[in-house]
Formats: sequence, structure tokens, C-alpha cells
Amino acid sequence: MALTRRSLLTTAAGAAGTALAATACGAGPGGAPDLEAAAHGPAGPATLRWWSFAMATHEGGDLRTDLIRAFRELHPDIEVEIVNAPAVTDISRTVLSTALVSGAATPDVYMGDVAWPGQFAYNALATPLSPVVPGDYWRAYPEEVITALSWEGDVYAFPFFGDQAFLFYRADLLERHRIEVPRTWEEVAEAAARVRRAGGAETGLVLQGAAYEGLTANVAEFVADAGGGILDADGTEVTFGGRAGERALGWLAGAAESGVLPRAAATFREQEATDAFTGGGALFLRNWSYVWGVVDAPDSPVRGRVGVAVRPGFEGGPARGHGCLGGWCNFVNPHGRNLGAAVAFARFCAEEEAQALMMRTSAYLPALTSLRESAEARASRTPTLALAGEVRLVPRPTQTPRYPQVSKAIYTRVNTVLNGRTAPGDALAAARSEIADALAGRSL
Amino acid sequence: MSFRGTTGAAAGATAAAGAVARGRRAPRGLRERRARTGWRYTAPALIVVGAVTVFPVVYSIVISFARVRPTYDGLRVEEWTLANYTTMFASQAWLDALVFTVGYTLVTVAVELVLGIAVAVLLERLEVARGWLLALLLIPWSLITVVSAQLWGYLYNATYGAVTWFFGLFLSEPPVILGTPAPAITGMAVADIWKTTPFVAVIVLAGLVRVPRERYEAAEVDGAGAWTAFRHVVLPALRPVIAVAVLFRVLQAFGIFDLPFVLTQGGPGTATQSLAVLGHKSLFQDLDFGMGAAVSSATGVLVLGCCLLFLRLFRSQVDENAEGGRNAEGAA
Repeated sequence: MALTRRSLLTTAAGAAGTALAATACGAGPGGAPDLEAAAHGPAGPATLRWWSFAMATHEGGDLRTDLIRAFRELHPDIEVEIVNAPAVTDISRTVLSTALVSGAATPDVYMGDVAWPGQFAYNALATPLSPVVPGDYWRAYPEEVITALSWEGDVYAFPFFGDQAFLFYRADLLERHRIEVPRTWEEVAEAAARVRRAGGAETGLVLQGAAYEGLTANVAEFVADAGGGILDADGTEVTFGGRAGERALGWLAGAAESGVLPRAAATFREQEATDAFTGGGALFLRNWSYVWGVVDAPDSPVRGRVGVAVRPGFEGGPARGHGCLGGWCNFVNPHGRNLGAAVAFARFCAEEEAQALMMRTSAYLPALTSLRESAEARASRTPTLALAGEVRLVPRPTQTPRYPQVSKAIYTRVNTVLNGRTAPGDALAAARSEIADALAGRSL
Repeated sequence: MSFRGTTGAAAGATAAAGAVARGRRAPRGLRERRARTGWRYTAPALIVVGAVTVFPVVYSIVISFARVRPTYDGLRVEEWTLANYTTMFASQAWLDALVFTVGYTLVTVAVELVLGIAVAVLLERLEVARGWLLALLLIPWSLITVVSAQLWGYLYNATYGAVTWFFGLFLSEPPVILGTPAPAITGMAVADIWKTTPFVAVIVLAGLVRVPRERYEAAEVDGAGAWTAFRHVVLPALRPVIAVAVLFRVLQAFGIFDLPFVLTQGGPGTATQSLAVLGHKSLFQDLDFGMGAAVSSATGVLVLGCCLLFLRLFRSQVDENAEGGRNAEGAA
């Protein structure tokens, strides 16, 4: 029997029928997982799989194994196996979301970015946690963190560790040129110009300017420095733009034009920006707290010559010290077979014992407010930890499930400002209209 | 056997079985028995192909007409709608991705073809070391694209990349290759051409060695120069293999994903965002399953349309190639 038009059509129709049937199978009412039992803790022995990435300790070990050991002292009949997550956040999201949409029971607990909860909750990939913890449970964490982890009134992940943005500077160069640590972006530009004129550094400031989520984090900070935001409190109206938007993007465009910010920054992610700084070419670096471990590592060419400060503000602006709220949290897989044990483990990682262990043995910033603002933290040798309490956290508007499209509108447009292709005003207008489309579900 | 009929491995197998049966003019009963045996042998393969190819493709097309939302009980169709397609066709992002993908395909395939033919002609004339050179030539083709894209990323790096350094020798301010649209597109095309020219060269070389010596000699006797002989003798003989090489390359280039995903992530801005990258973002970053399915379905239809058109235009060449191949097999 040869392949004919009729046999092709029959096959296609058969497959279409099966596909329709498969789609309809999932058409029942979408009920959340039953958490009543989970609220009472683990029900007997269990083996959990924890999707996470390696977390270096000061001693060169992996914090994850230490945390699991501490957890098992309390719950000896629960085993926790590590599943190594991909190092790239977006790939981790791709793999997880595909598995969870199809109802995979593992991983039981997964580490996710604080930018995910809105989207993951909307798409039923995460478990709502209010039923399993006391009402005032979330007050132990910074309000901004809990807002980021919430969607429509419920919290969808346990806080784990924080990532905050800081200004790293070459203390040796500033001292040599008798320059104070800048408190405003105008001073940053001036300092950069002076040091560059004197041949002390190739470039002034490096940051994450490539067309990806990291640029949106930078933009959110600069806009906050200028007194603005991206969306209103409900996440339904665009507030990106106006004077604050113009000032933020105007400064970035001017810095790129004058060479304070290298044109290459339009291709930089965290790694490239850090490389440019540790390579000795840049005077300032905007990056996340964990980068302290990199610039201060024994093999870092700039070790001992770097200082850390909270990010500057704009002259006459509302405040300095804004830092984007980053970091990671632990989600509970709604399809997991051991919800009680999974909740117990994710919760353990968010609480005092685990958080204190993290603060003492690694460079990760604890999420618990009491530890972040403790005397022990302020006296820490790790400057990012000592300064953590001073940072004004800037959350991204992640509560909208359309956040990835909102972010895409920002980073694709601002990226073209950094490479000098678009004027700030045009980029702002385009981004505003694309964000509005995204919120209305009209964007691609 | 017509090339048009072979749209899948299983189809090819059954068509081949049919051709064998027809060729020997076996009695009807025997033919039917043979067909049944053929189906039995191919059934496992057919089931696998159905499960991993036909079903997902059709499923994608179905959900592209729906507003789909994941629930705790699986995917739920909230509404059957054309909205994914109307939004997509009205979207500048899709139009940009389409223009980029089509332009990129045309340019890279054309350059690869010219270079590939040149390399193949050169290799064919080599008396010594042809095997070694062929092996060397195949290295770029054999590298996984994710790896080679990463390598090109290092070369183009704006801080320490070798290519940036090279331009710095002549220009006071070397371009930030992956940070500016035109250089980024060119850089990506160069990486692609570097990798896939060997593929074209090898296919063309296979065609070249089949051109009978006598034709060259006849051309020489008639007083044709090297270029005339190439244009009027070699090139016409190569048309069937060129058609096949172009078909393969167009299919691959149109679906380009791994190179921009690793090298540029679609940037700067959206300058290197191919249709496949756009579809991936929609599906896996935005988790917009209906829209992602619409982007991939539309791309699939476009590629299918292009290939059918191409096959119609080059039918005689492709058929000739298939015919030649079978004759060669028969002779062996």
C-alpha cells in the first residue's frame, strides 16, 4: 500500500482526534492539591528529591549537604536527594515547567527564582502555602520578599536566600585619585571621567546590559533611584516612563555616549560584567551580592582592592541605596506524593536554624529579617552581608503572570539605548506600549 | 519512486516495498501477502514515529487554536479561538522574526552554496591528501552547535575576544560585535557558514565524482576554457545534488534555534530573534502554550510551503538524482 492523499488525511484526522481527546482529558475543574494532611507535617518515612544548584560554603563544601544533614537530625526517616538544576535560570524554568505541567511528581521541592511565583502560581505549577503555616508566619521576612512570592493573596514559595544589588568599586583607584566613594550617579560619572583621563581605568561602570532579565533588574533600580516604578501596586497599569523613566534612561544613554559605560555593556550578563571588573578594566561594577565571593577570591586579580557600597542615587532624587530584590526560594511541587515531608523540608530551609547555618558558613544572604538585621550580620567580614539591612529592596512587578513579557518589553528596548541605536524617549514610548499590550494579553 | 512520496521514514519503507512488488509483477495474492508482511515489519517504527512525531505535531496545531491554561489537573482549554493567530500576525515581533529568518536563510544558504561548490571543486582536483583534508573540513560540521556557538561567543567577546582585538588593530573603536545589530547578524551568519559549508561541500563532492571524465575531455576538445567547461558541463550535472543540498540547508536554516539561543539570545534588542527563538520564548519563558504552538505551527506551514514550491521547481533535478542513485545501486 503506497502513501496516498487519502491515507495521509486519515492519519492526520486520527491524530487530531487523539490530540483533541487528550486536551479534553485535562478539562476538569482545576483544584489545588489537598494540603490538609500536609499541614500536620510528614506522614511517615519518605524520600524527597530537591531540585537545587550547588551552594559553595566558605570551607569549599556544599551548603546543601549541610542543610540536609541538619534537617535529617529532626526528621531521620525523611531522605533528601539532590537533583542538580541547570545553572542558567531560564533553562531551569523550561525544564521544570514542562515537567510540572505534565503532572510530574518529582522534584518534590524545587529552588526557583523570586521572579517566578506570579507566573508559576497562575499556571498551577506551585503549591499555595498559607494553609500549611500559621497566619503570622510570613511576618518574619521582609515585606518586599513576601510580596514577590505572592499571587492573588496567597504565598507560593518559602524564602530561601537573598540576592541584592550593590556597587562594587576599586578602592585603590579611588584612593589614588583622592575620590570619595560616590553617593550619586552624577558623582559616579565624574569619578569615572577623572580616573579614565588619568589613565587609571579603561572604563567607568560595568553592569548587566544584554537583552535579558538582568537588564530589567538594573532598569527597575535606576527608575526607583529617580523616584518611579514600572507598574502600579496592582500590577495593572504601566507607570514606567514620565520624568523618572526619562531621567533613568537619559543617564544610561549619556553614560554610554560618554564612555562612562562601555558600549560592550550592551552584551554583558553577570559573568561578563564581573570579568571586566576583575580584569582591572573598570572602576565600578553593579552586581549581585554573591559576586563578593568572586572579586575577593584568592585567585582574583583585584583581591584586597575592592570596596562595596549600596548603590548610589540621583542628585536630588528620593533616596540612595536601592537594590533589586533577587534571590531564590523553595517551591513545593503540587503533584508531589509526599506533600507533608516536602513542606517540612522547604519550611526548614526558610527558618532560623538553616538560615543561621547559611549566614555563618556561606556568602548567601539569609532571608529572615531577624538575621539580616542582626548585630552578627552587621559585624560580618562579608561586606554584602554587613550592608544587607541598609538596602532599599526594589521588587520587580513579578506578581503579574505576564511578567516575562513585561520584562521582555523593557530589556529589548533599553538594550537598544545602551548600544546607541535608540533615543531614551523613543525606547520609553515603545516599551510602555509593549508593556500595555503584554498586560492586555495582546503581546507575543 | 517519486521523491515527493517520501515524506517520512515509514512512508519511504512502504513505498519502497510497493515499488519492489510492482517491479517484479508478482501475482495479486503474493503482492498482498508481501504488503501485509511489510506492514508488520514497519509497524513498530510507525508506532514510534506516530507517538513522537505525528501526535505532537498535530497536538501543537490543535492547541494553537485555543487559549490554554495549565491547571492542577493538566492543560485546560479555556476557549477555542483564532486569537493566537490574529495577535501573532499583528505583532511586530513576529514580523521582525519572519523577516530576519527569511533573510538569514537566503543569505547563509547562498553563501554556503557558492563556498561549498568551490571547496568541492578544489577537493576533487586534489591528487594527494584529499582524505585528510576532507576529514579536517568535517570538523566544524561535526561539532555540536551549542559548543561551536560558545566558541564563537568567546571570539566575538567585546572585552577579550580575538575578533574584537583584530578589528582594534585597524579601528580606533572596534565594533561591539554582538551588541550592535548588523555586526551581530553578520557574526552569527559567519559562524553558521563556517559550520555548514562542509556539509554542502561533501554533498557536492559526491555529485562531482560522478560526472564522467569524458565530458570534461569532450569540452576540452571543443576548445572550452575552464570556466566555460564548469558552467556548461559541470554545473548542469551538479544541479540534482545542489537541489538536495539547498533543500536540506533551507529546512535547517529556517528552523535555526541553537546558534542564536547560545550566541546572542536573540539580541541585541531583537535583531537576531529567529522564528524558532520567538516560539521558544513564548512557550517556555511566557508559558503561553497556545501562542507558542501558533508560532511553531505557522513556521511549520511556511517551511512546508517553501519546500513544496522548491520541489515543484526542481522536480526534474531531484527525480533525476533519485533515479541516478537507484541506477547506481542497481549497477552495484
